[in-house]
Amino acid sequence: MSGTYLHWGIIQISLTNALVIVIMLVVFALAILVPFNKSHDRGDRS
Amino acid sequence: MTAGSWTVRTRNRIARIVPPGQWLPDRQPAYVSSWIYVFGVLTLAALFVVIASGIILTLGGVTWWHVSALGHFVNSLHLWSVELFFAFMVIHLWGKFFMAAWRGKRALTWITGVLAFAGSIGTAFTGYLSQTNFDSQWIGTQAKDGLNSVGIGSFFNVLNPGQMLLWHVALLPFVIGLLTVAHVILVRRHGVVPPIDAQPPDEPTPAPTPESPADLTARR
Repeated sequence: MSGTYLHWGIIQISLTNALVIVIMLVVFALAILVPFNKSHDRGDRS
Repeated sequence: MTAGSWTVRTRNRIARIVPPGQWLPDRQPAYVSSWIYVFGVLTLAALFVVIASGIILTLGGVTWWHVSALGHFVNSLHLWSVELFFAFMVIHLWGKFFMAAWRGKRALTWITGVLAFAGSIGTAFTGYLSQTNFDSQWIGTQAKDGLNSVGIGSFFNVLNPGQMLLWHVALLPFVIGLLTVAHVILVRRHGVVPPIDAQPPDEPTPAPTPESPADLTARR
């Protein structure tokens, strides 16, 4: 089964792997930007 | 029982590895309330599923997933937990890198994490070699040339499926397990790293540093 590959100069990556990397970057950004659930924060943390 | 017995010495030594109450803490500094601090324990949880599914796979052997629906399911559990393990670990790595997590005498924590990451790549690679299909043959022959070209092919043979399987199910998981335990103990010993502009609760506020002559010169 041949997949779709992206070519950029000497860089060659499958579309699937490229999407996985993009999704990981999105999750990383969300982990920094999305506020943590305050119900988990008991408010007495030192 | 005397105070100088080896059991007492061992107990005291274990107690001194991490500060009192920090083996299983129920309180963390306020800055830990962030999703980026969750990815370390997500990595641990994925590793737990990887090891558990791998242990079940040993019951049926490496060809189990070719001939059994249950074997295929457990093999898929193993594969996708590994995918999540690496995704969580890399996001954990990104977060800690941009936090400069080696600050505050945490260099060994950082180093054990790097070694665990590198060892995990090797463990995953030997897993690909243990699929017992054309994919594993192709990966093995391609890797053989690459490893020989950098001069480490004489220490092990990626075309030897017995050796690679034993590395995958015994040697490398043992090493990864030791590194993971050491990494977690070091995190408990030194505490999670604070964000760069945060003040840890147990550290005094640093005194303002006097301006250097070079700064004063540049300002003029």
